[in-house]
Amino acid sequence: MRAPIERRPPYGLAIWCAITLLLALLVYATPARLTRSTDLMPLLPLITLFIWSTIRPYFIPPIVIFVVGLLQDLLTGGAMGIWALSYLLALTIMRVRKEDATTREMGPLWFRFVATAAIAVIFAWLAGSLANGHPAPVQPMAIEAAASILMFPLIALLSVRKRQSRGAFS
Amino acid sequence: MALRRPGRREQDDGVRFSRTLTLTLFIIAALLIAFDRPDARPGFLVSFRAAVSDMAAPLLDLTARPLRGMGNIGPYWQRQRELAVENAELREQLTETRYWRDLALRLRDERDIYREALNLTPASEQERIGAWVLADPTGPFVRSRLVGAGAGRGVSEGDPVLNVYGLVGHVVEVGERSSRVLLLTDLNSRVPVMADRSNARAVLTGDNTNFPRLEYLGRDADLQEGDRIVTSGDDGILPRGLPVGTAALDRNGRWRVRLFSDNAPVDFVWVLPYDRLPTPEEEPAVTGVMALPENAAAPNSASEAGEEPAGTIAITEDGE
Repeated sequence: MRAPIERRPPYGLAIWCAITLLLALLVYATPARLTRSTDLMPLLPLITLFIWSTIRPYFIPPIVIFVVGLLQDLLTGGAMGIWALSYLLALTIMRVRKEDATTREMGPLWFRFVATAAIAVIFAWLAGSLANGHPAPVQPMAIEAAASILMFPLIALLSVRKRQSRGAFS
Repeated sequence: MALRRPGRREQDDGVRFSRTLTLTLFIIAALLIAFDRPDARPGFLVSFRAAVSDMAAPLLDLTARPLRGMGNIGPYWQRQRELAVENAELREQLTETRYWRDLALRLRDERDIYREALNLTPASEQERIGAWVLADPTGPFVRSRLVGAGAGRGVSEGDPVLNVYGLVGHVVEVGERSSRVLLLTDLNSRVPVMADRSNARAVLTGDNTNFPRLEYLGRDADLQEGDRIVTSGDDGILPRGLPVGTAALDRNGRWRVRLFSDNAPVDFVWVLPYDRLPTPEEEPAVTGVMALPENAAAPNSASEAGEEPAGTIAITEDGE
Protein backbone atom coordinates (compact mmCIF):
# COMPACT_ATOMS: atom_id res chain seq x y z
CA MET A 1 0.00 0.00 0.00
CA ARG A 2 1.37 3.36 -1.00
CA ALA A 3 2.03 6.01 1.63
CA PRO A 4 0.03 9.25 1.51
CA ILE A 5 1.45 11.53 -1.13
CA GLU A 6 1.48 14.79 0.76
CA ARG A 7 1.41 15.59 4.42
CA ARG A 8 2.04 19.30 3.99
CA PRO A 9 1.16 21.68 1.15
CA PRO A 10 3.78 21.11 -1.56
CA TYR A 11 4.71 24.73 -2.12
CA GLY A 12 8.14 23.78 -3.46
CA LEU A 13 6.54 21.53 -6.03
CA ALA A 14 4.10 24.28 -7.01
CA ILE A 15 7.01 26.66 -7.62
CA TRP A 16 8.78 23.99 -9.67
CA CYS A 17 5.59 23.57 -11.71
CA ALA A 18 5.47 27.32 -12.40
CA ILE A 19 9.15 27.37 -13.39
CA THR A 20 8.78 24.46 -15.82
CA LEU A 21 5.74 26.08 -17.44
CA LEU A 22 7.60 29.37 -17.87
CA LEU A 23 10.65 27.59 -19.28
CA ALA A 24 8.48 25.65 -21.72
CA LEU A 25 6.97 28.91 -22.97
CA LEU A 26 10.34 30.63 -23.31
CA VAL A 27 12.03 27.74 -25.10
CA TYR A 28 9.02 27.42 -27.42
CA ALA A 29 9.33 31.08 -28.40
CA THR A 30 13.13 31.21 -28.49
CA PRO A 31 14.83 31.21 -31.88
CA ALA A 32 15.99 27.62 -31.82
CA ARG A 33 15.69 27.46 -35.60
CA LEU A 34 18.54 29.89 -35.97
CA THR A 35 20.82 26.91 -35.63
CA ARG A 36 19.81 25.83 -39.14
CA SER A 37 18.13 22.79 -37.68
CA THR A 38 14.83 21.48 -38.90
CA ASP A 39 11.95 23.90 -38.90
CA LEU A 40 9.81 22.45 -36.16
CA MET A 41 9.16 23.08 -32.52
CA PRO A 42 7.07 20.79 -30.33
CA LEU A 43 4.25 22.33 -28.33
CA LEU A 44 6.29 22.34 -25.15
CA PRO A 45 3.71 24.31 -23.14
CA LEU A 46 1.04 21.70 -23.94
CA ILE A 47 3.37 18.82 -23.03
CA THR A 48 4.26 20.48 -19.71
CA LEU A 49 0.62 21.31 -18.91
CA PHE A 50 -0.43 17.75 -19.72
CA ILE A 51 2.25 16.12 -17.57
CA TRP A 52 1.54 18.37 -14.59
CA SER A 53 -2.21 17.94 -14.93
CA THR A 54 -1.62 14.20 -14.82
CA ILE A 55 0.80 14.17 -11.89
CA ARG A 56 -0.85 16.92 -9.84
CA PRO A 57 -4.27 17.81 -11.29
CA TYR A 58 -4.91 20.54 -8.72
CA PHE A 59 -1.77 22.43 -9.82
CA ILE A 60 -3.33 23.04 -13.20
CA PRO A 61 -6.72 24.73 -12.69
CA PRO A 62 -8.41 26.25 -15.77
CA ILE A 63 -7.00 29.70 -15.02
CA VAL A 64 -3.41 28.38 -15.30
CA ILE A 65 -4.21 26.69 -18.63
CA PHE A 66 -5.78 29.93 -19.85
CA VAL A 67 -2.78 32.05 -18.81
CA VAL A 68 -0.25 29.66 -20.39
CA GLY A 69 -2.25 29.59 -23.63
CA LEU A 70 -2.60 33.37 -23.63
CA LEU A 71 1.14 33.85 -23.07
CA GLN A 72 1.84 31.47 -25.95
CA ASP A 73 -0.45 33.58 -28.15
CA LEU A 74 1.32 36.77 -27.10
CA LEU A 75 4.86 35.43 -27.43
CA THR A 76 4.17 33.99 -30.86
CA GLY A 77 2.49 37.20 -32.06
CA GLY A 78 -0.76 35.47 -32.96
CA ALA A 79 -4.27 36.62 -32.16
CA MET A 80 -4.97 36.36 -28.45
CA GLY A 81 -7.20 33.52 -27.30
CA ILE A 82 -6.38 30.91 -29.94
CA TRP A 83 -4.11 28.68 -27.87
CA ALA A 84 -5.83 29.70 -24.63
CA LEU A 85 -9.14 28.36 -25.91
CA SER A 86 -7.60 25.28 -27.53
CA TYR A 87 -5.65 24.23 -24.45
CA LEU A 88 -8.65 24.85 -22.21
CA LEU A 89 -10.83 22.70 -24.42
CA ALA A 90 -8.34 19.87 -24.89
CA LEU A 91 -7.25 19.65 -21.26
CA THR A 92 -10.79 20.00 -19.92
CA ILE A 93 -11.92 17.08 -22.06
CA MET A 94 -8.89 14.86 -21.43
CA ARG A 95 -8.17 15.87 -17.83
CA VAL A 96 -7.21 13.18 -15.30
CA ARG A 97 -9.33 13.86 -12.27
CA LYS A 98 -7.88 11.40 -9.82
CA GLU A 99 -5.01 12.60 -7.67
CA ASP A 100 -1.72 10.88 -8.57
CA ALA A 101 -3.38 9.07 -11.43
CA THR A 102 -0.21 8.82 -13.46
CA THR A 103 0.12 5.41 -14.88
CA ARG A 104 3.54 3.86 -14.90
CA GLU A 105 2.85 2.49 -18.35
CA MET A 106 3.83 4.79 -21.14
CA GLY A 107 1.38 3.40 -23.71
CA PRO A 108 -1.91 4.62 -22.21
CA LEU A 109 -0.32 7.91 -21.17
CA TRP A 110 0.99 8.51 -24.67
CA PHE A 111 -2.36 7.60 -26.18
CA ARG A 112 -4.07 10.13 -23.93
CA PHE A 113 -1.58 12.79 -24.93
CA VAL A 114 -2.07 12.04 -28.64
CA ALA A 115 -5.80 12.63 -28.18
CA THR A 116 -5.16 15.84 -26.20
CA ALA A 117 -2.72 17.18 -28.79
CA ALA A 118 -5.07 16.29 -31.62
CA ILE A 119 -7.98 18.15 -30.02
CA ALA A 120 -5.79 21.15 -29.22
CA VAL A 121 -4.26 21.39 -32.68
CA ILE A 122 -7.49 20.88 -34.59
CA PHE A 123 -9.28 23.46 -32.50
CA ALA A 124 -6.36 25.89 -32.76
CA TRP A 125 -6.48 25.53 -36.53
CA LEU A 126 -10.19 26.32 -36.55
CA ALA A 127 -9.82 29.27 -34.17
CA GLY A 128 -6.78 30.59 -36.04
CA SER A 129 -8.54 30.38 -39.39
CA LEU A 130 -11.50 32.22 -37.92
CA ALA A 131 -9.30 34.93 -36.38
CA ASN A 132 -7.31 35.48 -39.58
CA GLY A 133 -10.33 35.37 -41.84
CA HIS A 134 -8.89 32.66 -44.09
CA PRO A 135 -7.87 29.02 -43.65
CA ALA A 136 -4.53 28.63 -41.87
CA PRO A 137 -1.98 26.33 -43.55
CA VAL A 138 -2.22 22.77 -42.30
CA GLN A 139 1.40 21.70 -42.72
CA PRO A 140 3.02 23.73 -39.89
CA MET A 141 0.31 22.60 -37.47
CA ALA A 142 0.76 18.98 -38.49
CA ILE A 143 4.53 19.28 -38.04
CA GLU A 144 4.11 20.82 -34.59
CA ALA A 145 1.63 18.14 -33.55
CA ALA A 146 3.86 15.31 -34.84
CA ALA A 147 6.94 16.78 -33.13
CA SER A 148 5.00 17.11 -29.86
CA ILE A 149 3.73 13.53 -30.03
CA LEU A 150 7.20 12.18 -30.80
CA MET A 151 8.90 14.19 -28.07
CA PHE A 152 6.29 13.49 -25.39
CA PRO A 153 7.58 10.04 -24.29
CA LEU A 154 11.04 11.44 -23.63
CA ILE A 155 9.80 14.20 -21.34
CA ALA A 156 7.18 11.95 -19.72
CA LEU A 157 9.73 9.21 -19.06
CA LEU A 158 12.00 11.68 -17.31
CA SER A 159 9.12 12.90 -15.16
CA VAL A 160 7.89 9.43 -14.25
CA ARG A 161 11.41 8.17 -13.53
CA LYS A 162 12.03 11.14 -11.30
CA ARG A 163 8.82 10.44 -9.43
CA GLN A 164 9.77 6.83 -8.90
CA SER A 165 13.24 7.66 -7.64
CA ARG A 166 12.18 10.52 -5.35
CA GLY A 167 8.81 9.31 -4.21
CA ALA A 168 6.49 11.52 -6.18
CA PHE A 169 8.82 14.55 -6.06
CA SER A 170 8.17 14.95 -2.38
CA MET B 1 -0.64 27.76 -8.66
CA ALA B 2 -3.87 26.79 -7.04
CA LEU B 3 -3.16 24.78 -3.95
CA ARG B 4 -6.29 25.23 -1.92
CA ARG B 5 -8.67 27.35 -3.92
CA PRO B 6 -12.38 27.70 -3.25
CA GLY B 7 -13.03 26.99 -6.95
CA ARG B 8 -11.76 23.41 -6.52
CA ARG B 9 -13.47 20.46 -4.88
CA GLU B 10 -11.81 17.21 -4.00
CA GLN B 11 -14.27 14.38 -4.22
CA ASP B 12 -14.09 10.63 -4.31
CA ASP B 13 -13.77 10.72 -8.05
CA GLY B 14 -10.88 13.22 -8.01
CA VAL B 15 -10.26 16.96 -8.37
CA ARG B 16 -13.00 19.04 -9.93
CA PHE B 17 -12.75 22.73 -10.73
CA SER B 18 -15.52 25.28 -10.79
CA ARG B 19 -17.59 24.97 -13.94
CA THR B 20 -18.50 28.64 -13.80
CA LEU B 21 -14.83 29.63 -13.83
CA THR B 22 -14.08 27.29 -16.73
CA LEU B 23 -17.06 28.57 -18.69
CA THR B 24 -16.07 32.20 -18.00
CA LEU B 25 -12.57 31.54 -19.30
CA PHE B 26 -13.97 29.91 -22.43
CA ILE B 27 -16.06 33.02 -23.07
CA ILE B 28 -13.12 35.39 -22.44
CA ALA B 29 -10.91 33.40 -24.83
CA ALA B 30 -13.63 33.43 -27.51
CA LEU B 31 -14.10 37.19 -27.10
CA LEU B 32 -10.36 37.74 -27.42
CA ILE B 33 -10.31 35.78 -30.67
CA ALA B 34 -13.21 37.86 -31.95
CA PHE B 35 -11.69 41.25 -31.09
CA ASP B 36 -7.92 40.74 -31.39
CA ARG B 37 -7.92 40.57 -35.17
CA PRO B 38 -4.59 41.32 -36.89
CA ASP B 39 -6.17 43.73 -39.38
CA ALA B 40 -8.31 45.69 -36.90
CA ARG B 41 -6.81 45.50 -33.45
CA PRO B 42 -8.14 47.92 -30.80
CA GLY B 43 -5.57 50.36 -29.43
CA PHE B 44 -5.63 49.07 -25.87
CA LEU B 45 -4.87 45.53 -27.09
CA VAL B 46 -1.95 46.85 -29.16
CA SER B 47 -0.54 48.57 -26.06
CA PHE B 48 -1.11 45.46 -23.95
CA ARG B 49 0.68 43.25 -26.46
CA ALA B 50 3.62 45.66 -26.69
CA ALA B 51 3.87 45.79 -22.89
CA VAL B 52 3.93 41.98 -22.62
CA SER B 53 6.60 41.77 -25.34
CA ASP B 54 8.66 44.35 -23.48
CA MET B 55 8.43 42.37 -20.26
CA ALA B 56 9.26 39.08 -21.98
CA ALA B 57 12.15 40.49 -24.01
CA PRO B 58 14.89 40.21 -21.32
CA LEU B 59 13.83 36.66 -20.45
CA LEU B 60 13.74 35.62 -24.10
CA ASP B 61 17.14 37.18 -24.66
CA LEU B 62 18.52 35.22 -21.74
CA THR B 63 17.05 31.98 -23.09
CA ALA B 64 18.22 32.67 -26.63
CA ARG B 65 21.87 33.35 -25.76
CA PRO B 66 22.99 29.75 -25.33
CA LEU B 67 21.02 28.71 -28.43
CA ARG B 68 22.78 31.27 -30.62
CA GLY B 69 26.03 29.37 -30.22
CA MET B 70 24.51 25.98 -30.94
CA GLY B 71 25.09 26.38 -34.67
CA ASN B 72 28.76 25.79 -34.02
CA ILE B 73 28.16 22.46 -32.34
CA GLY B 74 28.84 19.39 -34.44
CA PRO B 75 31.53 16.93 -35.41
CA TYR B 76 34.92 18.66 -35.62
CA TRP B 77 35.76 17.47 -39.15
CA GLN B 78 32.35 18.51 -40.45
CA ARG B 79 32.68 21.96 -38.92
CA GLN B 80 36.19 22.37 -40.37
CA ARG B 81 34.96 21.44 -43.84
CA GLU B 82 32.05 23.89 -43.56
CA LEU B 83 34.42 26.62 -42.43
CA ALA B 84 36.76 26.00 -45.36
CA VAL B 85 33.89 26.20 -47.86
CA GLU B 86 32.50 29.29 -46.17
CA ASN B 87 35.93 30.92 -46.17
CA ALA B 88 36.39 30.34 -49.90
CA GLU B 89 32.93 31.78 -50.61
CA LEU B 90 33.62 34.82 -48.46
CA ARG B 91 36.94 35.51 -50.22
CA GLU B 92 35.16 35.36 -53.55
CA GLN B 93 32.43 37.68 -52.31
CA LEU B 94 34.99 40.09 -50.88
CA THR B 95 36.77 40.42 -54.20
CA GLU B 96 33.50 41.17 -55.94
CA THR B 97 32.38 43.49 -53.17
CA ARG B 98 35.46 45.70 -53.59
CA TYR B 99 34.44 46.42 -57.15
CA TRP B 100 30.85 47.18 -56.11
CA ARG B 101 32.00 49.37 -53.25
CA ASP B 102 34.04 51.55 -55.58
CA LEU B 103 31.13 51.74 -57.96
CA ALA B 104 28.69 52.61 -55.15
CA LEU B 105 30.91 55.41 -53.88
CA ARG B 106 31.25 56.85 -57.39
CA LEU B 107 27.50 56.65 -57.94
CA ARG B 108 26.81 58.25 -54.57
CA ASP B 109 28.91 61.23 -55.54
CA GLU B 110 27.09 61.49 -58.88
CA ARG B 111 23.74 61.21 -57.13
CA ASP B 112 24.60 64.01 -54.73
CA ILE B 113 25.50 66.24 -57.67
CA TYR B 114 22.24 65.45 -59.47
CA ARG B 115 20.21 66.00 -56.33
CA GLU B 116 21.78 69.35 -55.83
CA ALA B 117 21.25 70.30 -59.48
CA LEU B 118 17.59 69.20 -59.46
CA ASN B 119 16.94 70.53 -55.97
CA LEU B 120 15.52 67.16 -54.91
CA THR B 121 14.62 66.47 -51.32
CA PRO B 122 15.91 63.01 -50.49
CA ALA B 123 14.08 60.73 -48.11
CA SER B 124 15.77 61.01 -44.76
CA GLU B 125 18.59 58.56 -44.28
CA GLN B 126 19.24 57.68 -40.69
CA GLU B 127 21.54 55.28 -38.93
CA ARG B 128 20.33 51.71 -38.98
CA ILE B 129 19.56 50.09 -35.64
CA GLY B 130 21.07 46.67 -35.03
CA ALA B 131 19.14 44.18 -32.91
CA TRP B 132 19.13 40.51 -31.99
CA VAL B 133 16.09 38.40 -32.67
CA LEU B 134 14.65 37.34 -29.32
CA ALA B 135 11.76 35.15 -30.35
CA ASP B 136 11.24 33.20 -33.51
CA PRO B 137 7.74 31.83 -33.55
CA THR B 138 7.12 30.24 -36.93
CA GLY B 139 3.62 29.14 -36.07
CA PRO B 140 0.75 28.26 -38.35
CA PHE B 141 -1.03 31.60 -37.88
CA VAL B 142 1.68 34.18 -37.91
CA ARG B 143 5.25 34.49 -39.10
CA SER B 144 6.91 37.15 -37.02
CA ARG B 145 10.05 37.88 -35.07
CA LEU B 146 10.47 39.69 -31.78
CA VAL B 147 13.59 41.88 -31.92
CA GLY B 148 15.40 43.52 -29.03
CA ALA B 149 15.04 47.16 -30.05
CA GLY B 150 12.03 49.38 -29.54
CA ALA B 151 10.86 52.95 -29.38
CA GLY B 152 13.63 53.68 -26.87
CA ARG B 153 16.18 53.24 -29.66
CA GLY B 154 14.18 55.02 -32.33
CA VAL B 155 12.19 52.18 -33.87
CA SER B 156 8.71 53.08 -35.05
CA GLU B 157 5.82 51.20 -36.64
CA GLY B 158 6.31 50.43 -40.33
CA ASP B 159 10.11 50.61 -40.31
CA PRO B 160 11.72 48.10 -42.69
CA VAL B 161 13.85 45.34 -41.20
CA LEU B 162 16.73 43.72 -43.07
CA ASN B 163 19.29 41.04 -42.43
CA VAL B 164 22.68 40.96 -44.10
CA TYR B 165 21.16 39.85 -47.43
CA GLY B 166 17.87 41.64 -47.81
CA LEU B 167 14.47 42.69 -46.57
CA VAL B 168 13.00 40.51 -43.84
CA GLY B 169 9.77 42.37 -43.10
CA HIS B 170 8.52 45.47 -41.36
CA VAL B 171 7.75 46.50 -37.79
CA VAL B 172 4.11 46.05 -36.77
CA GLU B 173 4.24 46.47 -32.99
CA VAL B 174 6.56 48.69 -31.03
CA GLY B 175 7.30 48.48 -27.33
CA GLU B 176 9.87 50.47 -25.39
CA ARG B 177 12.55 47.78 -25.58
CA SER B 178 11.24 45.37 -28.19
CA SER B 179 9.41 45.31 -31.51
CA ARG B 180 7.54 42.70 -33.47
CA VAL B 181 8.46 42.25 -37.11
CA LEU B 182 5.94 40.83 -39.58
CA LEU B 183 7.86 38.68 -42.05
CA LEU B 184 7.38 38.93 -45.81
CA THR B 185 6.17 35.33 -45.75
CA ASP B 186 3.29 36.03 -43.34
CA LEU B 187 -0.27 35.70 -44.62
CA ASN B 188 -1.00 39.32 -43.79
CA SER B 189 2.12 40.78 -45.42
CA ARG B 190 1.63 42.97 -48.53
CA VAL B 191 4.61 44.87 -49.93
CA PRO B 192 4.69 46.77 -53.24
CA VAL B 193 7.72 45.68 -55.23
CA MET B 194 9.17 46.01 -58.70
CA ALA B 195 11.60 44.25 -60.96
CA ASP B 196 14.93 46.03 -60.89
CA ARG B 197 15.48 45.44 -64.63
CA SER B 198 12.12 46.47 -66.07
CA ASN B 199 10.38 48.38 -63.25
CA ALA B 200 7.41 45.98 -63.61
CA ARG B 201 5.25 46.58 -60.55
CA ALA B 202 3.62 43.92 -58.33
CA VAL B 203 2.53 43.32 -54.77
CA LEU B 204 4.51 40.77 -52.80
CA THR B 205 1.94 38.71 -50.90
CA GLY B 206 2.86 36.30 -48.12
CA ASP B 207 1.08 32.95 -47.94
CA ASN B 208 2.98 31.30 -45.06
CA THR B 209 5.23 29.46 -47.51
CA ASN B 210 8.91 30.31 -47.89
CA PHE B 211 8.27 31.81 -51.31
CA PRO B 212 5.78 34.71 -51.27
CA ARG B 213 3.67 35.35 -54.36
CA LEU B 214 3.85 38.24 -56.81
CA GLU B 215 0.31 39.48 -57.33
CA TYR B 216 -1.35 42.27 -59.31
CA LEU B 217 1.18 41.97 -62.10
CA GLY B 218 0.10 43.59 -65.34
CA ARG B 219 -1.10 41.40 -68.19
CA ASP B 220 2.09 41.94 -70.21
CA ALA B 221 4.42 42.55 -67.34
CA ASP B 222 8.07 42.37 -68.35
CA LEU B 223 9.29 39.83 -65.82
CA GLN B 224 11.86 37.08 -66.27
CA GLU B 225 13.09 34.28 -64.05
CA GLY B 226 15.98 35.51 -61.94
CA ASP B 227 14.97 39.18 -62.12
CA ARG B 228 16.06 41.04 -59.04
CA ILE B 229 13.03 42.21 -57.04
CA VAL B 230 13.26 45.33 -54.89
CA THR B 231 10.75 47.43 -52.99
CA SER B 232 9.03 50.02 -55.17
CA GLY B 233 8.10 52.41 -52.38
CA ASP B 234 4.67 52.89 -53.98
CA ASP B 235 2.89 52.55 -50.65
CA GLY B 236 4.92 55.36 -49.09
CA ILE B 237 5.58 53.09 -46.13
CA LEU B 238 8.77 51.32 -47.19
CA PRO B 239 11.57 53.14 -49.01
CA ARG B 240 12.28 52.36 -52.64
CA GLY B 241 15.06 49.99 -53.69
CA LEU B 242 15.44 47.66 -50.70
CA PRO B 243 16.60 44.22 -51.95
CA VAL B 244 13.89 41.57 -51.63
CA GLY B 245 14.78 38.53 -53.75
CA THR B 246 14.68 37.01 -57.22
CA ALA B 247 11.64 36.19 -59.34
CA ALA B 248 10.86 32.52 -59.93
CA LEU B 249 7.98 30.59 -61.48
CA ASP B 250 6.32 27.85 -59.44
CA ARG B 251 4.88 24.60 -60.80
CA ASN B 252 1.53 26.24 -61.45
CA GLY B 253 3.08 29.01 -63.49
CA ARG B 254 2.63 31.67 -60.81
CA TRP B 255 5.32 34.17 -60.04
CA ARG B 256 6.96 33.88 -56.66
CA VAL B 257 10.03 35.37 -55.04
CA ARG B 258 13.04 33.54 -53.69
CA LEU B 259 13.92 35.80 -50.76
CA PHE B 260 17.48 37.06 -50.32
CA SER B 261 16.98 37.07 -46.55
CA ASP B 262 16.67 33.27 -46.59
CA ASN B 263 20.37 33.00 -47.43
CA ALA B 264 21.20 33.34 -43.75
CA PRO B 265 19.40 32.73 -40.47
CA VAL B 266 17.44 35.75 -39.31
CA ASP B 267 19.23 36.07 -36.00
CA PHE B 268 20.62 39.59 -36.20
CA VAL B 269 18.77 42.30 -38.08
CA TRP B 270 18.89 45.99 -38.85
CA VAL B 271 15.91 48.25 -38.47
CA LEU B 272 16.01 51.21 -40.83
CA PRO B 273 14.23 54.18 -39.29
CA TYR B 274 12.49 55.72 -42.25
CA ASP B 275 10.66 59.03 -42.12
CA ARG B 276 7.81 58.61 -44.51
CA LEU B 277 6.80 61.63 -46.53
CA PRO B 278 3.52 62.90 -45.09
CA THR B 279 0.47 62.77 -47.33
CA PRO B 280 -1.40 65.98 -48.18
CA GLU B 281 -4.11 64.90 -45.72
CA GLU B 282 -1.58 64.54 -42.92
CA GLU B 283 0.18 67.80 -43.71
CA PRO B 284 -2.23 70.21 -45.38
CA ALA B 285 -0.72 73.05 -47.33
CA VAL B 286 -0.68 76.47 -45.64
CA THR B 287 -3.17 78.65 -47.44
CA GLY B 288 -2.28 82.26 -48.04
CA VAL B 289 -4.61 85.26 -48.15
CA MET B 290 -3.51 88.19 -50.18
CA ALA B 291 -3.52 91.41 -48.19
CA LEU B 292 -6.22 93.71 -49.35
CA PRO B 293 -5.33 97.20 -50.56
CA GLU B 294 -5.87 99.95 -48.07
CA ASN B 295 -8.82 101.39 -49.97
CA ALA B 296 -10.60 98.05 -50.33
CA ALA B 297 -14.25 98.10 -49.43
CA ALA B 298 -15.88 96.64 -46.31
CA PRO B 299 -12.97 95.81 -44.07
CA ASN B 300 -13.96 93.76 -41.09
CA SER B 301 -13.47 94.88 -37.58
CA ALA B 302 -10.31 92.85 -37.03
CA SER B 303 -8.53 94.40 -39.98
CA GLU B 304 -9.74 97.79 -38.91
CA ALA B 305 -8.04 97.24 -35.61
CA GLY B 306 -4.88 96.29 -37.46
CA GLU B 307 -5.20 92.56 -36.62
CA GLU B 308 -5.11 89.62 -38.98
CA PRO B 309 -7.90 87.04 -39.00
CA ALA B 310 -6.92 83.97 -37.02
CA GLY B 311 -5.82 80.84 -38.89
CA THR B 312 -4.47 82.55 -42.01
CA ILE B 313 -1.11 83.91 -43.01
CA ALA B 314 -1.24 87.13 -44.91
CA ILE B 315 1.07 87.36 -47.90
CA THR B 316 2.18 90.87 -48.69
CA GLU B 317 3.09 92.15 -52.13
CA ASP B 318 6.77 91.53 -51.57
CA GLY B 319 5.95 87.95 -50.83
CA GLU B 320 6.60 88.02 -47.11
